[in-house]
Amino acid sequence: MYDLVRGPLLWVSFIVFVLGTVFQIIKFMKLSKKIDVPKFIPASRSKPIATSPGFMLKFEMFKAAGIGTNLLMAVVTTVFHVCLFAIPIFLVGHSVLFDQSWGINMMPFLFSENTTDTLTIIFLACSLYFLLRRLLSARVRAITTSYDYVVLLIAAAPFLTGFFAYHQIFNYNTIIILHILFGELMLVTIPFTKLVHMVFFFINRFFVASENCLGEGNRTW
Amino acid sequence: MAEQNNTPVATEKIKKMLERKKDKTKLSLRMCAHCTLCAESCFLFMTRGKDPKYMPSYKFINSIGKLYKKKGEVDRATLEEIGDIVWNDCVLCTRCYCPLGIDIPDMIALARSICRTQGVYRQYDK
Repeated sequence: MYDLVRGPLLWVSFIVFVLGTVFQIIKFMKLSKKIDVPKFIPASRSKPIATSPGFMLKFEMFKAAGIGTNLLMAVVTTVFHVCLFAIPIFLVGHSVLFDQSWGINMMPFLFSENTTDTLTIIFLACSLYFLLRRLLSARVRAITTSYDYVVLLIAAAPFLTGFFAYHQIFNYNTIIILHILFGELMLVTIPFTKLVHMVFFFINRFFVASENCLGEGNRTW
Repeated sequence: MAEQNNTPVATEKIKKMLERKKDKTKLSLRMCAHCTLCAESCFLFMTRGKDPKYMPSYKFINSIGKLYKKKGEVDRATLEEIGDIVWNDCVLCTRCYCPLGIDIPDMIALARSICRTQGVYRQYDK
């Protein structure tokens, strides 16, 4: 069972994840169109004056968009998503597998075991915050469906089982298989469920023309 | 007062209109993480007691989302409910902000177009 989930199933989930993500990017390209971002070049200058807002204005907009209106949510969601990426990539246990399988040595960049353990607890606390917010906040409850709880579970389960596995809580062999399966489930579901917001967060931030765009922003829906 | 509209709903017409923007609607509904961070960007939400029914996400999910999920097979009462959302709870000022980039105004505009074809529109004499 362990060999199956660590071998072929892992490859299947990687392939589904990559192809699914590419499929969504192609879909975005088909649904959106390129636009000309106007550039203003005064006679006295050779370079265009930035038509996109400057850093301070962007910061003000950022405040208006999230930080200023939902400070706690903005902080929790940022920590949650950074941990979601950082923990699995910089975990010592995973790096051993990277090294064994592909010969990638990440030693200088890894977090210590204590750090990842603490970050996992922080991540799980953020997940709990999301859960409580869904259950208790009237505005979130107004649009919450059972699907939202499933998505939260898919995101949190690999970390919860990973935490159990590291601390040898419950039967280790069962938990580690569950941990890998949940991780694979997350990869497979990213392009095809609500988790697709992972892809579109970046597309929106860097490609879609709007005042909150951090990139070139020369496409529109 | 406006008269009660009892004309049967032309579901085939709605289906055709939904079909034209099917991919975008499907993707937008899937993309919405139900985070409610769009709420404060709606001035109606801010000025009407922060009632969740004015959240852009709520309006988009319960209008075009409902039409899409029911594949256009809606009765007159549901259409009137949707009409109430897209005509009375949203002014289509296009200032709603979605952190994930959903084009909410376009979705609301589509729901408005569908409602309009079925005789459901803003009634100024109400």
